[in-house]
Amino acid sequence: MKIIAYTCPYVPAEWIAAHGFEPRRLIPLPTDVDAVAPRVEGLCPYARAFVNDVAAENAAGIVVTTLCDQMRRAYDLLTCGTDTPAFLLNVPKTWQTVAAQRMYLDELKRLGRFLVRLGGQTPSSEQLAKTMIEHVGRAAPTASPAHAEGVPLAVVGGPLMQRDRILFDLIGESGGRIVLDATETGSRGLRRAFDRRRIAEDPLIELADAYFGIPDASRRPNSELYGWLKEELTRTGARGIVFHHYLWCDAWRAELARLKEWVDMPVLGIDSDGNGETNVARLRTRIRAFLEMFQ
Amino acid sequence: MTGEPRQINLDQWDREYARLRAAGMAEPIYGGPLSRHVADGDTRLLKLRYDNSPAALRLWNFLLTEEDRLLAARDSGKKLVGAMKDLGTVPVMAYSLDNLVSFYPDGAWWIPCVMELNTGLLQIADSLGIDESFCPVRAMLGAFVTEAHFPLPDLLTCSVGATCDDFSAIAQRLNGLGHPILWWEIPHRRQPEPGEQAVTLPGGFSAPGSQIEFVRSELLRVKIALEELAGRSLDDETLVAGILKANVVRDLLAHLRHLAFTAPLCPMPALEMLIAEMLAIHFCSDQDETILVLTNLLAEVTRRAAAGTGHLAADAARVFWVNPVADLRAMNLLEDCGGRMCGTEYLFAHALDPIPTTIPPMEALAQMALADPMVGSAFDRAARIVADIRRFRAEAVIVSRIPGASHCALEGEIIARMVREECGLPVLEIEVPSITDATQATLCTRLEALVETAKDRRER
Repeated sequence: MKIIAYTCPYVPAEWIAAHGFEPRRLIPLPTDVDAVAPRVEGLCPYARAFVNDVAAENAAGIVVTTLCDQMRRAYDLLTCGTDTPAFLLNVPKTWQTVAAQRMYLDELKRLGRFLVRLGGQTPSSEQLAKTMIEHVGRAAPTASPAHAEGVPLAVVGGPLMQRDRILFDLIGESGGRIVLDATETGSRGLRRAFDRRRIAEDPLIELADAYFGIPDASRRPNSELYGWLKEELTRTGARGIVFHHYLWCDAWRAELARLKEWVDMPVLGIDSDGNGETNVARLRTRIRAFLEMFQ
Repeated sequence: MTGEPRQINLDQWDREYARLRAAGMAEPIYGGPLSRHVADGDTRLLKLRYDNSPAALRLWNFLLTEEDRLLAARDSGKKLVGAMKDLGTVPVMAYSLDNLVSFYPDGAWWIPCVMELNTGLLQIADSLGIDESFCPVRAMLGAFVTEAHFPLPDLLTCSVGATCDDFSAIAQRLNGLGHPILWWEIPHRRQPEPGEQAVTLPGGFSAPGSQIEFVRSELLRVKIALEELAGRSLDDETLVAGILKANVVRDLLAHLRHLAFTAPLCPMPALEMLIAEMLAIHFCSDQDETILVLTNLLAEVTRRAAAGTGHLAADAARVFWVNPVADLRAMNLLEDCGGRMCGTEYLFAHALDPIPTTIPPMEALAQMALADPMVGSAFDRAARIVADIRRFRAEAVIVSRIPGASHCALEGEIIARMVREECGLPVLEIEVPSITDATQATLCTRLEALVETAKDRRER
């Protein structure tokens, strides 16, 4: 089955699957290839890694979104750096208006037309509903280290490359226990559970609504994110937050200070350049020092 | 009254000012010697060079007295609209109502330059977690906290969507500090697909009709907010009048740019031209006065072009400049190094194009907003730059990076590539911080090298 590669959580896998493709959410390693995007000061390392890794992927199509400006601009490089057809999905930053919700729905339909051009089939409502129900039981994309003991912590931030998930290991080794992965590549980036009754009424609207509700720092206003965090931090009993962002990720960097003001628990802010030079010893020292606060 | 065109420093301006006043120069109420602004903290003025015309003096005084104007507007009962990010659309709507004044809080990005980092605005931004990895527009946060550089507006609007991340994040931080913001969405401009209605926008880009309709609906929300603030209706007739007036400004600027960039001798230096262009965005809080200021400036430039007088050497390298500079001094440096500004793209080329008047006004404004080169692909922006390079016969291009600005990481490469392929011109990418004093030598070396390259190519 042909693959459609993407990374943004606002790309509905079910929509791709319903058109007859295999949706593959690509979380960059990253590889050392810089065929599409060279290492440039000011360029988010995640965006860079994604366009480089996805260009090397054997995909029939690539979907990028406008969730952040870095990705929006990296799309330009992608279009001239690979022959693989690419699609830029306009994800609204605003969310409170019917117009924004409708825009997202229309963009999904436009994505559908792109998939048809690649050889896919427009699904009927029944086919889409069936695909959505089949996806309900699929596993979450992340796997946190299974440590039963330790200080319960939340990890908050944007997407994490696979190599940088060493952060989770270090937290576990240092006496922490991750009870909430609120990164974009973690549970925060998951859509809410589908309402089966709404699937039966209009599956595409239910699909759009479920995905549109994913909270993110880039939304304007991003109050949904804080509403979601409040609920999840309470539900999971987290006692501290490890906040991670990549250098040049303005959307998340700007939230660190605000999060510290807002939340009534210790917050450790970590940034990484995503280019492989993470100093594990330094990171371990900082995490251990952070966890000592809870003793 | 004006002698030969010269670039003079602030001391020289004081003496020239006295001479002009003695000769009968009339000034608007905000006039006066430029040096008085130094006492207000605008110490960068001591390091700049200025055109010596009364028209330029008026331009500078107009720019540097904006805060006074805003305070006076509030005192007179007008409501203030802070139009953030959007460059040139919401102010046109606001100024259509005579009890509204719109200004551009983002303009605070120049305060660290003009006041040479003495105001502490960047430190305030640092303390709020918005550090130097963000664009200098973070000074705007400090300005809102101190309330020392502009009065807090009665309504804040901000365009988001296809906009730069750092400004969006800064605006969100401002919102988080308790400043309500009316967010309106500007989607990434895309090419129409087969079967979609395709519309050619002002400036030449195209977009699907559905996107224009969406932006129109977003601007309708802004219109409703402006009406509520003003307590009056912003009907089509009122909007059309506002658009016509905005087009007067745009027409003046078009003529000014054409003469300034194409006359055999440079009739107006780069620094004054930069400020003149900036007036297009929000009219420096007084649209009527903007028209008078630009009319004056255009008259001076026209006179000089006709007389064959101007600044700089006749063989100055003709340079096209991309992106505004955080340090105004960079404009002087270009000329010190043998360059002459012949074409600009300061992130708001769409605010220089005439707003259509043959279609309903809200649709016209939606088209203008979507015509912003920054909301589409960098390739679109590069294409427009190439067209203007040819129009103004530039010989070299400078892409000026703004420190921390998210769009600068990638667009420079795309613009440079297209310029080289389409025009075969040398391209220099530089970064201009808020104060260039420490990097001036390096900057000049690179500018001089570009100028030499451009001149060298003439002989081939």
